[in-house]
Amino acid sequence: MAKRSFWKRITIWRYAFLTACFLTVVINPFLNYHYDINLVQGWFQSLGVGNLWVVSPLEGIESILTAKFFYMPSLVGMVIPVTLAFLMGRVFCSWMCPIEFLSLLTDKILGLIPKWGSKLKYRKDLIRLSKRALWFTLVAELMVTMMVGYPMFVWWSPPGLVGRETMFYAFYKVITVEVWIVVIVLLLNLLTRRFFCRYLCPLGAVLALIGKRRQLVIKYDAAKCVGCKVCDTRCPMGIKPSVGESQTVYCWNCAECVDACPTDALKFVWRDSGFIRLSPPVKLKED
Amino acid sequence: MKKERKTETRREFLKVTLGTFMAGFLSSCDLSRFKNPKTMIKSPIRTNILRPPGAVPEEYFAQKCIRCGRCGEVCPYHCIKYFDVKNGGVFSGTPYIDVMEKPCYLCMKCVYVCPTGSLVPCAKEEVRMGVAVINRQVCVTWQQEKTGLMCKTCFNVCPFSGIAIKIDHDFRPYIVEENCTGCGICAYSCIADQYPENNGQKAIRIEPIKWKKIKEIKLEDIKKS
Repeated sequence: MAKRSFWKRITIWRYAFLTACFLTVVINPFLNYHYDINLVQGWFQSLGVGNLWVVSPLEGIESILTAKFFYMPSLVGMVIPVTLAFLMGRVFCSWMCPIEFLSLLTDKILGLIPKWGSKLKYRKDLIRLSKRALWFTLVAELMVTMMVGYPMFVWWSPPGLVGRETMFYAFYKVITVEVWIVVIVLLLNLLTRRFFCRYLCPLGAVLALIGKRRQLVIKYDAAKCVGCKVCDTRCPMGIKPSVGESQTVYCWNCAECVDACPTDALKFVWRDSGFIRLSPPVKLKED
Repeated sequence: MKKERKTETRREFLKVTLGTFMAGFLSSCDLSRFKNPKTMIKSPIRTNILRPPGAVPEEYFAQKCIRCGRCGEVCPYHCIKYFDVKNGGVFSGTPYIDVMEKPCYLCMKCVYVCPTGSLVPCAKEEVRMGVAVINRQVCVTWQQEKTGLMCKTCFNVCPFSGIAIKIDHDFRPYIVEENCTGCGICAYSCIADQYPENNGQKAIRIEPIKWKKIKEIKLEDIKKS
């Protein structure tokens, strides 16, 4: 469908980057344990490369909210992810998150089934909630955290758990009960593609909130669109780029629709003019 | 007819898979702990189970810690371990050191990688993970009339020997609580459990810092001896 050559597809680079990030998180504990190479420590809750610290925003916020104390290194560690989200939106979710890697892997494996492959790969959503459920989860999560008095997402965050279980396995040869959270998230993925990411991930909600006025968006060109709606079936987040929804907060810039579009009606655009107003696609059609 | 059959088999398949997953999930949880919700929010730090060096007080350790696991990854002796939901409740994922398995050797690498200030960078001698307590009923040197042994193991292995552990004129060890870091090397290497009458009991244990408790123990010990 897409006429782009193999290396010009953006999704190829996304898969490569996802794999690299996943391998970093999975191999790193073994390097630490067997060879004492401590250059990279931790996983996506807090990743340390040498002296460069990155702290995940939601976990940092939770830690500040419950301990009621500011600690400068953790605030400084949150600068990089917040800047990234502010400029590019939820790119962590689509380009780095190990859960997205595993979901993508299941999708690709399902796509290998001979007869049903393409149908299973781009399956229809069995359960659909309102997209605003994402904000509700974020508020509920923070409220529960404040009520219990201990940060909650830090121990049940699925992307963090992937790293933690690997680390536990590498260091102590045990896998804890929490691995079921990851399994359940991946199973929910079978009902509706990225069910957890769409409706239940508070970290995704924080990143989406920060990236509401992001610079990197997928722009929809109504003049070029032929109305084939391929992008709607490809979108893992269940939004409709064919009506210009790709510029909303719920888009996570994964570029699946950009590659699927046969007429290049969808394109990555760096909105350099800053806080511009969005021209609604309905108006464009009238022109 | 055919369609009905298909949906039926699918339903059954779904039921079976869901059932197995639920069964696996439930059997892997220790349900007895969930009966008492207090165990879920009660701190699992106790005798010989301590926080890593430089830790902030236990009341807000779990609130600050974001469970990133970096302290455990840099620990060259692999002595930092982590609670999980089964034995830690909401403290799941926070680090601890079991001194009976592997004590802390005070290399002070973990305090410099903590991103949230749960472990505050400090000097070796400022570490207060806990306080060593000698059980004089069990210690072979304190009971030298009975055992006829004179052991100085704890004095020899202590990284601050002569400062944190001192020996008196009969080579009986005693602990200077103000200088004890609670690293647990003495408790780990105590040989009293090899003495047959002690039934595998070690003479030194590390209590997490609660000054009230230590005072009580001291009084008891003095009364007994």
